[in-house]
Amino acid sequence: MLEIKGLRSGYARGADILKGIDLNVTAGERVAIMGRNGMGKTLLAKTIMGLVKPSAGDIRLEGAPIGAMPAHKISNLGVAYVPQGREIFGDFTILENLRMGVIGKPKLGLEGLEKIYDWFPILRERQSQRAGTMSGGQMQQLAIARALIGRPKLLLLDEPSEGIQPNIVHEIAEKLSAISATEGLTVIVIEQNFEMVEILAERVAFLENGLITGESPTSRLVAEPELITQNMGL
Amino acid sequence: MTLFGLALDAMNYTSVLLLVCIGLVVIFGLMQVINLAHGEFFLLGAYTVLVAQGVGIPFWLAVPMAFVAVAIVGLLCDAVILRFIYDRPVDTILATWGLSLAIRQAIVIVFGAQSQQVAAPLTTPVELFGVSYSSYRLVVMLIAVLVALAVFLVLYRTSIGLAARAAMANRQMAQCLGINMRRLDRSTFSVGAGLAGLSGAVMAPLMSVDPQMGMGFVLPAFLSILVGGVGSPVGAIWGSVVIGGSTTLVSAWWTPVIAQIVVFLLAIVTIRFLPSGLSGLRKR
Repeated sequence: MLEIKGLRSGYARGADILKGIDLNVTAGERVAIMGRNGMGKTLLAKTIMGLVKPSAGDIRLEGAPIGAMPAHKISNLGVAYVPQGREIFGDFTILENLRMGVIGKPKLGLEGLEKIYDWFPILRERQSQRAGTMSGGQMQQLAIARALIGRPKLLLLDEPSEGIQPNIVHEIAEKLSAISATEGLTVIVIEQNFEMVEILAERVAFLENGLITGESPTSRLVAEPELITQNMGL
Repeated sequence: MTLFGLALDAMNYTSVLLLVCIGLVVIFGLMQVINLAHGEFFLLGAYTVLVAQGVGIPFWLAVPMAFVAVAIVGLLCDAVILRFIYDRPVDTILATWGLSLAIRQAIVIVFGAQSQQVAAPLTTPVELFGVSYSSYRLVVMLIAVLVALAVFLVLYRTSIGLAARAAMANRQMAQCLGINMRRLDRSTFSVGAGLAGLSGAVMAPLMSVDPQMGMGFVLPAFLSILVGGVGSPVGAIWGSVVIGGSTTLVSAWWTPVIAQIVVFLLAIVTIRFLPSGLSGLRKR
């Protein structure tokens, strides 16, 4: 599904933060990227999404190179992005936010809305409410729903548990895990919260100083939690 | 002049200001471009009507022609100059300022620096509650209201409008949701320029058509946007009402010079206490 080879990228020219990322994610797989702050996790997500252009290396989605593509084209190829901080449109209603999930995809309408409402019932109840008035957990559900309504092949989540109370984190992780299993959705989640990773991801890749320094099945990290601190350089 | 006549004048100035503002505010809101050539797009609209009348095209046909012609000019300016510098705000200010000088000088070269007149299509005054008022000014108000309504309907009732508002709120996220920003930028700049051209066209019979005529509108339009709230289409309405209304009323009671001082003070006070302009009041 997604192949990344020798990826180098940075926010400024000549100052690469990612220094040769190699990562393969197969279709339907759920992979977590863990690492300390400032290691380049968000930059990796932005580079895959086309918001930051790679300075070297290759990114392929289902065999097609996407490294030089603008974000809207990558979105139309089936990559959905839930950024850190959610970035929902606070002045729009919940329904308008959901419409935004299909607005750039001419072949899609709101036919998937009922399914979205079944997954996230709170959004059905509050569809006419201004999104900016919702709680953090509800906003996160909306951001995920907005990404899912566009029927992506690959869902890219950046710190989805940030600022959300633990029971909601569990609920979101379990829901995403179930959606991925039933819909065959590939998920890459960038996360520091192992509680979410444990439920959602099957495999964890550790990002340290701009490189993938280790990978492990999540089950092994559950059994040997000291591996997390070792791999994250803590 | 009676109070009602004064109110009509204020409404007339406000409506034209709104027409100029809408183009500016949409361009700034979406592209973060402070278009200093907006006054010259207004100018081009007026000269389009002048030329059209000169070759015998009826005024009411010349007005939509002005919109299309200036929209095409906007499209060309975007393709040749602006698209390369959208992400450099200071450069866009310099580039649009340079563009404004170039357009104004081109007008001087082609048409000369002297004032010219466009014949008004309606000359008979109408009687309104005992006040005799220019029928053409009333039509201008109606056009401004209809155009503003059309712009707001597109912005708030269509998918294109939703995409445009999303891009105004968060450009990067809009891109991530599949919106082609390049296409949206191009259309926005072109429509914004076209709206300025349309304003110039409808105002041409009420003013002397000369190379400086755009300047008189672009400054109050910028002030209206600051007062209403930068990048807010609804704010443009409130800003135009405050600036247009106060300019007309103070000019009538004192002098146009005092009016300018009052309007500047009003703008400074508003921005001091409401940095997001009048539209910021809603969010409080």
